Amino acid sequence: MTPPTASQVRPEVVTRGVHAPAKPWVERATSADHKAVGLLYIATSLSFLSLAAVEFALLRLQLIVPENSLIQPEIFNRLLSTAPVTLVVLAAIPLALGLIGYIVPLQIGARSVAFPRLNQLSYWLYLVGGVTIYASFLYTAPETGTISLPPLSDAVFAPTNGTDSWIAGTALATLGFVCFAINLVVTLNRLRAPGVAWRRMPLFAWAATVIGWLLVVIGPVMIAALTMLEIDRHFDGVFFDPGEGGAPLLYEHLAYIYFTGAYLIVFLAAAGAISEILPTFARKPVFSHRAVAASFVAIGILGPLAWMQNMYEAPLNEGWTIMAMAFALALVVPVGVLLYVWIATIWGGTLDLRAATWYALGAISIMACGLAGELSYSVVPVGWLLDDTTASQGSTLYVLVGGAVIGGFAALHYWFPKVCGRLLGEGLGKAALALMFIGINLYVLMMFMAGLEGQPVDVFQYFEGTGVDGYNLVASLAAFLLVGGILLELGNAAYSWNNGLRARGHDPWRGATLEWFALSPPPPHNFDAVPDVRSTEPMHDIRESIRRRTEAFVAPAALERPPSPAPRPAEPVPATAETSASETTDPDAADGGGSSVA
Amino acid sequence: MLALAWAGPAHAISIAPEEAHSPNADAINTSYWVMIVVVIAVIVVVNAALIAAVLRFRERRGREPSRFAAGRGALRPVVGSLSVLALVIFVYGVIMTEDVREIEPSGPNGLGAAQTAQVGIKGLPASAAIEGSESATGEEPVTGAEPTETSPLQIDAIAQQWLWRFEYPGGQPGQRTFSYGELVVPVDTTVILDLTSTDVLHSWWVPALGGQVQAASGDVTRTWFKADEEGRYAGRSTAFSGTGYPVMRSWVRVVSVPEYLDYVEQLTADLREAQGIVQRRQAEEATPEAATESEGAE
Repeated sequence: MTPPTASQVRPEVVTRGVHAPAKPWVERATSADHKAVGLLYIATSLSFLSLAAVEFALLRLQLIVPENSLIQPEIFNRLLSTAPVTLVVLAAIPLALGLIGYIVPLQIGARSVAFPRLNQLSYWLYLVGGVTIYASFLYTAPETGTISLPPLSDAVFAPTNGTDSWIAGTALATLGFVCFAINLVVTLNRLRAPGVAWRRMPLFAWAATVIGWLLVVIGPVMIAALTMLEIDRHFDGVFFDPGEGGAPLLYEHLAYIYFTGAYLIVFLAAAGAISEILPTFARKPVFSHRAVAASFVAIGILGPLAWMQNMYEAPLNEGWTIMAMAFALALVVPVGVLLYVWIATIWGGTLDLRAATWYALGAISIMACGLAGELSYSVVPVGWLLDDTTASQGSTLYVLVGGAVIGGFAALHYWFPKVCGRLLGEGLGKAALALMFIGINLYVLMMFMAGLEGQPVDVFQYFEGTGVDGYNLVASLAAFLLVGGILLELGNAAYSWNNGLRARGHDPWRGATLEWFALSPPPPHNFDAVPDVRSTEPMHDIRESIRRRTEAFVAPAALERPPSPAPRPAEPVPATAETSASETTDPDAADGGGSSVA
Repeated sequence: MLALAWAGPAHAISIAPEEAHSPNADAINTSYWVMIVVVIAVIVVVNAALIAAVLRFRERRGREPSRFAAGRGALRPVVGSLSVLALVIFVYGVIMTEDVREIEPSGPNGLGAAQTAQVGIKGLPASAAIEGSESATGEEPVTGAEPTETSPLQIDAIAQQWLWRFEYPGGQPGQRTFSYGELVVPVDTTVILDLTSTDVLHSWWVPALGGQVQAASGDVTRTWFKADEEGRYAGRSTAFSGTGYPVMRSWVRVVSVPEYLDYVEQLTADLREAQGIVQRRQAEEATPEAATESEGAE
C-alpha cells in the first residue's frame, strides 16, 4: 500500500475494509443505487395499485343497484377522495418513474444517475406522502372529492383533518416526483455513454426526458396550489375565498394543469414502453425513430396547455375555451403519428406474440379508444354535454388503465427478466390481460351510455327510474372483472419474482437497446464496459457484427468449439473484456442466447 | 309487461343523448352526433389496422422480417391529413360553440313576444355578462313594473348545498318571488339563467335544455334556454359538493304562458300569505317575551 506518487498516474481504489452486506431488505431500502430505488418505486406503486383497485371495486359495489345503502355516503366519499389520487399520484406516476429509474440509466449506458441521494430522497418523500394519505383512515379520511376543489375543501366545509392529510400527502409525493425529475433530466443530459446522441437515444429514454421536463414544470404548480389551500385552511388565507376577493377557479386551473400533465405522463410512459416492445418482438426497427421522439416532445408541450379542456363549464372567457380546444385538438397530430408508426412497425415484421406483446397491443387499443373519446370532449359543446358525466370519466379511465395498468404490465413483462433474471408468468399474464381487456371495455361502454342518460360522476347513489340501473349493474360486474384481472396479474408478478421460469440468458427477447447488454440483474455498476454506440439499435449492431464474423470464420474441423459454455454463475461477472468497440465484444454476453439456464 | 321487457334491451344499446327541447341543446346534440361518428370511425380504423397487422405479420416459421424504416418525409402525408382532420374539427367546434352561446329571441307563442325582437341579446361570456348585467340586460326585467311585458325572461338560480333556489323577475330586490327545486317557465320563451352559489361549487345541467354550467360563489355565470314543448325536464348537478350531492337535482317545468302567469301570481300570493303568517307569529312570540321581560324587570 504505497501512497500514490507523481510517477504513479493510474487511479487506484483505496478502501479501509470490505462493506459487510446487511440483510437483503436493509440493503435494498438503504441503497442509493438507481436500480434499488427503481425497484422500491415499482413495488410500492404496485401495492398502491392493488389498493386503488380494491377501492374501485368497493365504489362499484355501492353503485351496483340504485339507491343502494351498503356503504354509507361518508365512507363512500372517503373512498372516492382517496381512490383517484391513489391511482394517479400513488400508483400510475411512480410506476412510470420506477421503470424509468431502473431502465433508463441502463439504456443510455450510464453507470449510475447524476444525484443518487436525491433519487433516494424522492422515493422516501413519495412513500411518506402515500402513508400520510392513508394514515388519515385512522382518524377521519379526506372526503372532499377527486381533486379537493375549494370551497368544498376549505375549512368551513371540510373541518376534518383528512383533507389536510390529502393535501400534505399529495404535496409530499409530488415533491418527491420533482426531485426524481431533476435527477432524471440531469442524468439524461450529462451521463449518456459516448455515441448515445439524442438522435440515437432509445425511445423509452426519450419518453423519460419529456416526462422529466413535464414533472419539473407541473409538479411545482401543484405544490403551490396545495400550499395555498393549506394556508387558506389554517392560516386565514384568502387565495381561494370568493368572499374576500379570492378565486376558487384558480385552484381548479392549477390542479388541472397538474392532473392533465399526470395523464400525459401515464400516456407517454406507456407509449415509450410500447415503442420498445413492438420493434423487439416484430424483429424490426421502429418505423420512424425521429417521428416518435418528435411526437413525444409535441405531446409534452401541447398536452398540458390543453388543461382547460376539463373546465369548459367553468366561468371562463370564451376565448380560453377556444384556446383549450385548439391545443387539445392539436394533439390529434402527434398521437395519430404514434399510432401510425406503431402499426407500421408491426407491418412487414414477424410479430412474436409473447405476453408483453399482447399487453402492448391491448394498451394501444385501449388508449386509442380513450384518446378518441377525449377528441370528442375537446369540442366545446360536446364537453358541455358529457364533461363530469360517467361518459367522460370512462374515457379518462380508458387512458389511465390502458396506459398505467395495461401499458405498465406490458413494460413489466418486457423488463422483468432484466430485473430478476426470470420471466413473468406468460400464461397467467395473458389470462389476466383477457380479464382486464373485457372488463375495461365493458365498463367504459356501460358508463358511456349511463353518462348519456345523465349520470354524473362521484355520486354515491343514483335513483330508480333515471334509466341507468342496467348500465350500472353491468358496469359493476365489468369493474370486478377488471379488478380481478389486475389482482391476478399482480399475484402473477409476485409469484414469478422467485418462482418464474429462468430467462434464457441476459437478453431473452433479443432487444435492441443497451439495457440488454448488461447482466440480468445488472451489477451495481451496470456495465464493465460500454460498447460504442453507433445507431439507435446498438445490440442489433453487435449481433450483426458477430454474425458476420462467425460466417467469415471457417473453423478447422479438428478445432470446433464445444457446443455450449458452462452455465453462467448468478453473481455479477464482467460482461466483456474489451472496451474499444462493438466488434471486439464477447459473443456470449452480447447475444445472451449462449448461456441458457433452463 | 311485455313491452317493458322489450324496452329494456332496446334501451340498453342507445348511444343517443336526451332529446333536445331547446335550440342550444339541439346544437349540442348535433355536435355530439357529428363527433361520435368521428370517434367511432377513429376507433374502428385504429383497431382494424392493428388487428390486420397482427394477423398478417405474426411470427411464422420461415418468415424473415423486412427491416425497413421510414425514409425522410415518409410521414408527411400522415401529418398532413391528421392536421386537416384536427383543423376541420376545430373550425366545426368553434362554429358550434358560437351557435350554442348565441341567445335566440323568444318565439311567437312565448311570453312578451311583441317586445322580443328589439332585445335580441347575443351570447355573452360569463365575465362580460356580469359587467353587462347591471346596465344592459339585468336591470330591466328586475325593476320593470310588469315583468310580463319584457323579454327575455331573466331568472336568478342560486345553488346551495343541496338545493336550487329560483328567483323570478318582478318585485323588489330581496322580496322577489322564488321557488325551490322546481323552476316553472313559459314555453317558447327565451329564459336567461344567472347562476351563482352561496357555498361550494355546483353545476346546472338539464340535458334537454342545454349543457353544463358551473355555479360558483362570488361569480355569476349565464346560460339560457328556450323550451319548445311543455313538459317537466330533469336536471342534476355534476360538481361534487359533499354528502348530499346525489340529491342536488333540479326540475324545469315548462308550461303555457297563461299557466306561467297564474303560477307566478299564485306563488307570489302564497309567499305573501306565508310571510304574513310568519310575521304575525313572530309578533305573537315577541309580545309574550316582551311581557315576561318586563315582568322580570319589575
